[in-house]
Amino acid sequence: MDDIPSRTPEVVTNFIRVREVDPRPLHLLSNSVTMASFARPSLLRIATRSPLRQNVGVSQAVAFHASARKQILPPLPQTIEGTMNDPVPVPETKPSQGSYHWTFERAVCVGLIPLSVAPFAAGSLNPVMDAVLCTLLVAHSHIGFEAAIVDYFRPKRVPKTYAFCQWLLRAFTLTTAVGLYEFETNDVGVTEALRRIWNA
Amino acid sequence: MARLSGLQRDVLSLYRKCLRAIRTKPTESRSNFKRYARAEFQKHISVSKKDFNTIEYLLRKGHRQLEMYASPGIRNIR
Amino acid sequence: MASLRTTSRLFAASRPLFRPAAFARSYATVEATQNVEPNPSENPKMKTFKVYRWNPDTPAEKPTMQSYQLDLNKTGPMMLDALIRIKNELDPTLTFRRSCREGICGSCAMNIDGVNTLACLCRIPTDEASESRIYPLPHTYVVKDLVPDLTLFYKQYKSIKPYLQRDTPTEDGLEYRQSPEDRKKLDGLYECILCACCSTSCPSYWWNSEEYLGPAILLQSYRWLADSRDERTAERKAALDNNMSVYRCHTILNCTRTCPKGLNPGRAIAETKKMLAA
Repeated sequence: MDDIPSRTPEVVTNFIRVREVDPRPLHLLSNSVTMASFARPSLLRIATRSPLRQNVGVSQAVAFHASARKQILPPLPQTIEGTMNDPVPVPETKPSQGSYHWTFERAVCVGLIPLSVAPFAAGSLNPVMDAVLCTLLVAHSHIGFEAAIVDYFRPKRVPKTYAFCQWLLRAFTLTTAVGLYEFETNDVGVTEALRRIWNA
Repeated sequence: MARLSGLQRDVLSLYRKCLRAIRTKPTESRSNFKRYARAEFQKHISVSKKDFNTIEYLLRKGHRQLEMYASPGIRNIR
Repeated sequence: MASLRTTSRLFAASRPLFRPAAFARSYATVEATQNVEPNPSENPKMKTFKVYRWNPDTPAEKPTMQSYQLDLNKTGPMMLDALIRIKNELDPTLTFRRSCREGICGSCAMNIDGVNTLACLCRIPTDEASESRIYPLPHTYVVKDLVPDLTLFYKQYKSIKPYLQRDTPTEDGLEYRQSPEDRKKLDGLYECILCACCSTSCPSYWWNSEEYLGPAILLQSYRWLADSRDERTAERKAALDNNMSVYRCHTILNCTRTCPKGLNPGRAIAETKKMLAA
């Protein structure tokens, strides 16, 4: 019997659980395509490979993990509304936050392109053009920051943080608007200031 | 009694939901359902209360099981 | 794979027959069947596969990465072949979904070497030195090993009413007809197999999967918006017109990059936005 070659000698079974485990729960496993924006997972991987991890006891290992993967807003446990066969509820129609908002946002973006080029190309300083440029800039930055707040702080989950961030953003936008107004009326204005910096 | 954490409250609420679902079953099979529900909870009594991932998984599984057994077609269980 | 399976069956059938030691010569038969294996080789090309393992029966245990080694000369060219071979020959407890093995069912979607793809459409990298890492789809709740829980995904699919909605019958009472130009608009949309590769690669969907529909569902939604036979376009548009359903798409385009069928969900979402704005 001994001289019979085993059936698949090439196959080496490795049933031993490897030491190098991936302790991250699945919701942290990110696609490498987007890895660029997440530095933490790669750091974590290095941390788990360190020899320290191999020798520490279980409780210490847990503590080690806890410190290494301190997350901001970790994902919540899955909640399924209704039974598995119900569709998810369709949200209310709100064009002011949906399609109108999107159209306005795009219009502002497109409008900014000629406005940021025109004053320098034409070489003329028109206070009306300056005013329009400032208004659009403020609106553009407000929409941009608002999108980030809506993305990351859901009112369902962190209603207070969401409201606080919204009011903070409004305060900033208002301050910026007032500051720009002062700059335009009492000083040289945005385009002139840029021109001077450019030529300085 | 110490204040319960959110997860502990979730577990209790699942158990309460189970008991409520049992009340919709035929009278003669209710004790069977109750025994089964208790056994399912007992099975994982040893899970550490700080093992959130495990408890969350068990809650998800529990809700799925509850949904399945709560259907009126199921009249008895062993 | 089929040939592999026949060999193992033959093998199983022949072994008990020739078990008695007296039939020493009959082992030649065994060797003969062994030669049937594809590309028998003297120098095997061993490749390591690291597979995410998690068993729901022991939920308190942490997920692990288990490594398996296979000879590439004896394995089919695709990742699914390797997984099936691991399950058949090395570890029958490995769990994954698969059905058609030709990229039409969308069951075997998983994260292979960091990219969401269908295991049956993903070639095994022939580089033996590097190991292949196989995970379930990212940011999904795991049922077991490589099987993700797609309940929410299917519930969202149901919410867009993925079927033809029409009140007026045709004049002749026959089927709803469509011009070739209108039919052409559905190309690149109807091919979607709902494997969830794109949705689970979308960072926006990772953050807001409860409210944002995700690229796969939005592509399907656009498939019905673009259909000339559908009569509820206004209703469909109204259902999408809020700040979460569509507008959490920030054109990251991971969806288009990862789609194993080569479709473009990013473009479908852009078209949806244009339709909503018009």
